[in-house]
Amino acid sequence: MNDYDYLLNQYNTANSFRDFNVLAQNGLLPNMNTGMNQSNMNMVNANIQLYTPQEAYEKGNLFSNLYQQYMNYKPAVLRATNERERMFLEFSRMAFAAHELNLYLDNYPDNSSMLRLFHDYSNRASALMEEYQKKYGPIVVSSSGVNIPFQWVNSTWPWEGEI
Amino acid sequence: MWKYEKRLQYPINIKKKDPKMAKIILTQYGGANSELAAALRYLNQRYTMPDNRGKALLTDIGTEELAHIEMICTMVYQLTKDATPEELKAAGLAGNYSEHGLDVYPSNADGVPFTVTYFSSTGDVLANLSEDMAAEQKARAVYENLIDLATDPDVIGPLLWLRQREIVHFNRFKELYEYYEKQFNNPIQPRGEE
Repeated sequence: MNDYDYLLNQYNTANSFRDFNVLAQNGLLPNMNTGMNQSNMNMVNANIQLYTPQEAYEKGNLFSNLYQQYMNYKPAVLRATNERERMFLEFSRMAFAAHELNLYLDNYPDNSSMLRLFHDYSNRASALMEEYQKKYGPIVVSSSGVNIPFQWVNSTWPWEGEI
Repeated sequence: MWKYEKRLQYPINIKKKDPKMAKIILTQYGGANSELAAALRYLNQRYTMPDNRGKALLTDIGTEELAHIEMICTMVYQLTKDATPEELKAAGLAGNYSEHGLDVYPSNADGVPFTVTYFSSTGDVLANLSEDMAAEQKARAVYENLIDLATDPDVIGPLLWLRQREIVHFNRFKELYEYYEKQFNNPIQPRGEE
């Protein structure tokens, strides 16, 4: 049996961060250790705690063990004011979480539990991007439609301050 | 090759013009510890990494730095948007305006243009990765200095976010450094097995 769907459920119900230790102890990450690189990456994966994509995106860091706050500054709270911003934010969070796992997996390419999570986030990010582009115009040029004028040119450029 | 995504990695929407702040944030575009120096450093060093881990990490972090260049330029652009020559002069940007108008040009906070001598490449993986770790720490420190000088929450938010990215990147480089160091100091382990 594949426990993938069950895992997804766990991810969705976690409040502030996902405790991989707890998931592992409860047998929810069955390949946690067997998937680790046996050679030299001397890293205790079991101690890694991940924020949810939402919290990670606001903080700029998916890994709670690496997070360092500066003085008493709290990360900005990102609030969507309309449907377009809501969809964009949701996509950005998922893309960021996938990117963080990408960097992690560069160093630990044999970590199967992180790889599964990468796939989950990455697939969700692709789906959200697709959905956003259909409604609001291209993020990548290939999604520009057949109608003139060429949508790629006319949709807002990122430095203009609107998402 | 690269593909462009028409979006910022993290949203920036600065409503209040502030050429003085633009002048100092510009340093993270074209200064010694800038995002531009970071991107060029990693993308330049990646070719000779001893195994695929290093090639992947330097490519992926180098690519992210390109997105950070775009964030910094966006901040400078928005902070100087519609600024008059008088306002720029008052902010100490008369020299910058005379050379570049309102274009965002890579130089440090004092107007010294970017130079590739801000980074090195030694052909030695441990020396290169030590430099990469130091670069991330120095950029973190610069972001903290900038946050100390900033007052607008629209500016502070992205600066905090970029500072946090330096911390993550530093740790990834450190892990890679320790991995290579261990391999090189232990002849039983074959080098560069991938």
